[in-house]
Amino acid sequence: MRYLFIFSLFFFLISCSSEVFDNSEREGERDDIYLSTYNPSSSGDVLVKGGRVLTGTGEELLSADILIKNNVIHEIGELIEPSPNTKIINAEGKWVTPGIIDIHSHMGVYAAPSLRSNSDGNEATSPVTPHVWAEHSVWTQDTQMPLALKGGITTYHVLPGSANLFGGRGVTLKNVWSKTVQGMKFPEAPYTLKMACGENPKRVYGSNQEPSTRMGNVAGYRAAWIKAKEYKDNKNATRDLKLDTLEGVLNGEILIQNHCYRGEEMAIMIDISKEFNYKITTFHHAIEAYKVADMLAENGICAAMWADWWGFKHEAFDMVWENVAIVDQAMGGSGCAIVHSDSGIGIQRLNQEAAKAMAAGNRAGFEIPRKRAIKWITKNPAKALGIDDRVGTLEKGKMADLVIWDSDPFSVYAKTEIVLIDGIIKYDHSDPNSPKPTDFELGIISPNENRL
Amino acid sequence: MKIVYTFLAVTLANFLFSESLLFKNASVYTGNADEVFEDHDIYVVNGKIVEINKDLDLSADKIINAEGKIITAGFISPYSHLGLVEINMLAETRDDSSSVYSAGFSISQAFNPSSTLIPYNLNGGLTSAISTPSGNGLFSGLGSAFSLSGENESLLLKDLALYGSIEAGGESKAANLLLMEDIFELTRAFNGDLDKIQDHALPKSFEYSKRDLMAIKRVLSKEIPFVVPVNRASDILSVIEFSKNQNIRLVIMGAAEGWRVAKQLFESKTPVILEPINNLPTSFDNLGSKLENAALLNKAGVRLLISSDRWETHNAYLSRQGAGIAVSYGLPWNVAVNALTKNVSETFNIPDRGSLTIGHEADLIVWDADPLEVTSFAEQIYISGKLMPSNTRSLMLRDRYLKRD
Repeated sequence: MRYLFIFSLFFFLISCSSEVFDNSEREGERDDIYLSTYNPSSSGDVLVKGGRVLTGTGEELLSADILIKNNVIHEIGELIEPSPNTKIINAEGKWVTPGIIDIHSHMGVYAAPSLRSNSDGNEATSPVTPHVWAEHSVWTQDTQMPLALKGGITTYHVLPGSANLFGGRGVTLKNVWSKTVQGMKFPEAPYTLKMACGENPKRVYGSNQEPSTRMGNVAGYRAAWIKAKEYKDNKNATRDLKLDTLEGVLNGEILIQNHCYRGEEMAIMIDISKEFNYKITTFHHAIEAYKVADMLAENGICAAMWADWWGFKHEAFDMVWENVAIVDQAMGGSGCAIVHSDSGIGIQRLNQEAAKAMAAGNRAGFEIPRKRAIKWITKNPAKALGIDDRVGTLEKGKMADLVIWDSDPFSVYAKTEIVLIDGIIKYDHSDPNSPKPTDFELGIISPNENRL
Repeated sequence: MKIVYTFLAVTLANFLFSESLLFKNASVYTGNADEVFEDHDIYVVNGKIVEINKDLDLSADKIINAEGKIITAGFISPYSHLGLVEINMLAETRDDSSSVYSAGFSISQAFNPSSTLIPYNLNGGLTSAISTPSGNGLFSGLGSAFSLSGENESLLLKDLALYGSIEAGGESKAANLLLMEDIFELTRAFNGDLDKIQDHALPKSFEYSKRDLMAIKRVLSKEIPFVVPVNRASDILSVIEFSKNQNIRLVIMGAAEGWRVAKQLFESKTPVILEPINNLPTSFDNLGSKLENAALLNKAGVRLLISSDRWETHNAYLSRQGAGIAVSYGLPWNVAVNALTKNVSETFNIPDRGSLTIGHEADLIVWDADPLEVTSFAEQIYISGKLMPSNTRSLMLRDRYLKRD
């Protein structure tokens, strides 16, 4: 059902966005609403015993205990003594990784089932729509969410589509069931802004309206940044939702997530960011990142990539299996490589996608061990979302988001056994009622039969 | 003069003496037994498999040490548009649909053996593929099987199945089944005289050429199967009923809710082309889709063929990953490999391929490890005993930009 992806990409297109708490004192602006209301109950003490641990920091521990206290990782070590009330999870013979993070998802905004009535991922009515926020489209009962949980996804970033030069704000969510989007929002995660290069924005608006060419795209970005600069410098200007978002980028509060396939377009986007003095955090899809890997590393820009998708459009024609590895190894291993899904299918097995990218890199002569490759789906996306101080690695003080796998997660045969979010079991393979079905799935097969 | 003699000698040798290959000490999965045979040798003469056994004490032109490697038959894609498309979104690079013909549209002349997708998917592990027409109509046309050798003579079997859909034109699926029934009945009565078509009063918008009706005739005579994508349990039953009434060979594609009607699929001997990776309830017609589908269908005795996602022609070889996922959800490994090989050739009557059998073409792959594992690669690929080139455009791009310290 990659057609979900194709559908969104080709006909509605994809972009991304973010939300700001900017420091300006413009009349009417408030930073105390739209906040996360996610507040997990206390996990108590949990001890994950004896697993083979890929920490996400670049280390592999052959047998380690992980002690969680009150939703947070308290200690990682050998033979940690539990207190009497500690819940013990035996992970001997299993593998343990940080919770998997997908930096490019459309869960909730392009949901399953995919119906005209819930195709809410792209405001493809104008090339410049930084005022729309993906979180205002999220359907919390999307059936893709529990499937992603079963695949080890604990945090994901929902982006608007790519039909626009500026597609709107993205939102980072914890993969927890909630009646409200606010109840899923990753607390105090920075907002993001989706921008898009190339074929998608230039195709959507017809031949009589800009942009219809790549140079039209670039003129459109620059014109919008000029307005944003004026707005930033004039606190008396009437409040404008579009410019609020762009101003947040110029203030360094909103992170740019930039859909961009071609090497030369990434170079131009970097020039534009220098002209207007903002930072590009991540290039998404980045099929040709391997051609400009050093440039990305020099500029401190991450690339979020697939392991092997290609050929659906011209700008995706030059795919190489080694793309992720080449970005990772750029400039003496200082590159920031991310494996993303952009798909309700791929998000269920980012571990396999990372495995393919690792194997291809190693066949090309690199020596990339699992303990490094796991960062592509944990630490690096956390960094590119501005939440690496709280998730992405298994370290003291981090949120206790972790996955226990029945075997080597870099194998097609590996399955998750237990997924913990903030120290609380959200998926347990031995529980037939897990993961919790969405509202949509209740009784949908028959009056007595849920989906899953 | 010496050059002439040498030339003659070589030519004579090629003419009189066969070329032989001996693969030594491999783990061999033939497809004819459930298990993998350890330390087995495969002897190939003139591109055909001559012997498979332990310790073959034979001389050969080329001996390949395959110790520690797995050898299987080359994988066969049961459904893709390989050779018919370069870039999905660009109609000018696609050659896979017709608005003029329906059932009679044969893609056999459209296949381009020089497509960039062919060496790429070959190196992913596919040695042959069924390429199919695409379209939104009741019938999209006839598919053919091709070798992925990249050579001009790639056609293996022409017009081997008819492809149709009951989801055409925004009609109720029931209306489309009625239309199919009318057209099949019309065809049954059709003896080559186009005037006769008028007697059968199809809705006005439906025009069928002689070529279309002749293609349907081959389905009615059970010469070729009729492939229909369908997912909802009740729709699967309707299509099975239709195939019984019409007395045709049905192959179902998709079957997301197949597990709910596994017994009926088995009893009607309907093979199923699965895309095991697809478990999302993308519409109200596949709410019951789940990763256990393959294992449940197999348990019921249904013959399975495994495809990549049907929209993913560019990565058709990822049927391997889908098969691996099906195994992790309970499908036996050997059944998964059969679903990538012999079940495809047998369902579509592609001769002499799909298993390592004495007398068959030596389409075989030397794998560096378990072929269903995502970290494995095809090390050597042979089609009719000929070693295929391992390069692809993608690898050339990699090598242009790769900096090896």
